[in-house]
Amino acid sequence: MQSLTQNLSFLSPLFSQVSESPEPKKIQLKSSFFKNPIFFTSHKSVHSPDKPISTGVFPKNSIFFTSPKCYHNPDKPISRNPRNSSVSCITAHEIPLQPLTVPEKVHCLACEFKSLPEPIDRVKRLLHYATLLPPFDESGRVEENRVKGCTTMVWLQVEMDGNRLMRYKVDSDSEITKGFCSCLIWLFDGAIPEEVLSVKTDDLAEMNVGMPSKGHSRVNTWHNILISIQKKTKNFVEVKDKDRSLTEFPPLVGSTDGFSVYGNYKEAQYMQESRQAGNEVEGPT
Amino acid sequence: MMASTTMESAFLKIPSFGFVNPNIATSKLVSRSSVSLRFGFHFRSCAISSASAAEPASASSPSSVVNDSEKLGPGSLGHITRPDFPILHQAVNGSKLVYLDNAATSQKPTAVLEAIQNYYESYNSNVHRGIHYLSARATDEYELARQKVANFINASESREIVFTRNATEAINLVAYSWGLTNLRPEDEIVLTIAEHHSNIVPWQLVAQKTGANLKFLELTEDEVPDVGKLKEMLSKKTKLVAVHHVSNMLASVLPVDEIASWAHDVGAKVLVDACQSVPHMVVDVKKLGLDFLVASSHKMCGPTGIGLLYGKSDLLNAMPPFLGGGEMIADVFLDHSTYAEPPSRFEAGTPAIAEAIGLGATIDYLSGIGMERIHDYEVELANYLYNSLRSVPNIRIYGPDPSRVFKRAALCSFNVEDVHPTDVATFLDQRHGVAVRSGHHCAQPLHRYLGINASARASLHFYNTKEDVDDFIRALTDTISFFTSFK
Repeated sequence: MQSLTQNLSFLSPLFSQVSESPEPKKIQLKSSFFKNPIFFTSHKSVHSPDKPISTGVFPKNSIFFTSPKCYHNPDKPISRNPRNSSVSCITAHEIPLQPLTVPEKVHCLACEFKSLPEPIDRVKRLLHYATLLPPFDESGRVEENRVKGCTTMVWLQVEMDGNRLMRYKVDSDSEITKGFCSCLIWLFDGAIPEEVLSVKTDDLAEMNVGMPSKGHSRVNTWHNILISIQKKTKNFVEVKDKDRSLTEFPPLVGSTDGFSVYGNYKEAQYMQESRQAGNEVEGPT
Repeated sequence: MMASTTMESAFLKIPSFGFVNPNIATSKLVSRSSVSLRFGFHFRSCAISSASAAEPASASSPSSVVNDSEKLGPGSLGHITRPDFPILHQAVNGSKLVYLDNAATSQKPTAVLEAIQNYYESYNSNVHRGIHYLSARATDEYELARQKVANFINASESREIVFTRNATEAINLVAYSWGLTNLRPEDEIVLTIAEHHSNIVPWQLVAQKTGANLKFLELTEDEVPDVGKLKEMLSKKTKLVAVHHVSNMLASVLPVDEIASWAHDVGAKVLVDACQSVPHMVVDVKKLGLDFLVASSHKMCGPTGIGLLYGKSDLLNAMPPFLGGGEMIADVFLDHSTYAEPPSRFEAGTPAIAEAIGLGATIDYLSGIGMERIHDYEVELANYLYNSLRSVPNIRIYGPDPSRVFKRAALCSFNVEDVHPTDVATFLDQRHGVAVRSGHHCAQPLHRYLGINASARASLHFYNTKEDVDDFIRALTDTISFFTSFK
């Protein structure tokens, strides 16, 4: 049985970060949206050590305290497919030990929204998460950051940090869309690119508010923002991979003297092609 | 090749009835009284209550805000026709459905649904090609539908009606067929900034190909297209004036008969987008003097997948084909082909037969009610909607204030202060089962001109009732209260 003091990163939709301390901290959450404050212990997320605890809004009767929750069973292999996830639903006092992967987070979020009895409850939950979205710099509200195809205005900024982890900032002029964005940020911020790219729109269908259709229409905000996130992530990956291939993994050049590492790929390719053409080229033979 | 028009002689012109007979889908035609749609005049509506007469709203009883008209009470057209529309009788998200998105698409009466089902059950067959019984019957019904459309808008003959997939395709047909043939560099096409995208983008594409220029009419302070300036924009360079009849966002009505007259004075043609007028009022293409008119079946209680292009015979006869294929040809050789006469020339391939027959049944249904009766009722409902909505605090309604000069269609685009329209529409749907539209309504230039990104829109049809409006206002008030307290 895991203790409540350990990894609560799956609760991070409720607060942007939790701080680490040797002893678990007790955090009182006050809600303007729900009336009863809640006490619980917190744990630092491995991905974002520097952000302070956010006093998020958390309903006392929320799924995380009265209904099954998600956890990762370390005895089971982690599956990248959220449908085959090793994440199961547990009772309130069983706590995960390890940080959740993106597929596991998707599964958790799907569980949460699926458990909400009424469609209006999902709307309210999204509005709650909208309040947790970090502020977005006004300078980022430019056309190049706009997510195309949405009926609301959505701005998205994507970066890759030094650890090759993806960082996202997003904002919208619609509160419900902000709620969508908040959930997506929780899913993807600090994740590796491959995990971000592995998520499909259908994986998020359970969280859709008022949109039973999984179609790619302009009101399907999940789809549009997810596609934008993935496109920009892919661009970062391609640029980084290209740089890495040229500098981190110099090609082996085969010659009569054996194999040796020499220069970059293009240079080696040029040398090989030139020699095959019968030209004299400097470098390993 | 189009079948002979023997069906035309089989029609009997029957006066419209004052009651609805929804279960009969016969070839009933309406002898149309000559009702002018001259801008600001000749409407048979009651006096519209002015803004100064409106009382402050009460959230619990919006009906107390405005004077109830007897026409909106029990026994109104909306109450009578609602049973004909099975889709309206359901719950959505735990609440009774209140469908107020008719400008996007209308609902279909049982008579239309049965006509389509009957086609597929009884005589489905390809048209114009076979000689067997089923094909002959399908062809007759298809061409009968064409004749019904022609009569509905008072075209001279059924050959002036081309079936398309929708109004958008109809405009593209004119743009690519008439436009590419007749437009030269420096020629001008006059539009308004309030046009639907379907009446802007095709002209942009054709203008790029031909070197023609687009000119856009802006709005007055009353938020209607500045018709006064339109006349000044016309010149010998003007080759086409393409405008809406009723704005899907502003609810304003243009005097298209006057516009047509001005356009013809400078030698220009006129195309009218009648998507928001044909379903709601009498439209007489001859009286209005139009060269082209487009409309969509699905906005007038007909099936999706079919629309209509009206074009004067001489214009259609001179136009080259738009799409190539079967049906639109006379003879096909390896190196060239010759083409059929209109309308077949513009109906390549197997048409939407069931949909055309469904549209015919739609016209029967609407004619059974009477378009004047529909229009009169919707004018009352439009005023009730506008005045009820205006009584809600922090609401901005777009388009003109209704008055003796400015008549509004039965729709209101609006914004709630500090609440995104998509949030409003989502809450209305999820909490109250009220269906409205949010977004730019395919009118981005208009939204940009008004300085907004999006708006919400409630749009009515003759099967809506005063109670629908009351439910909407109550739901909207609750929605605003929710978001206000949330913030």
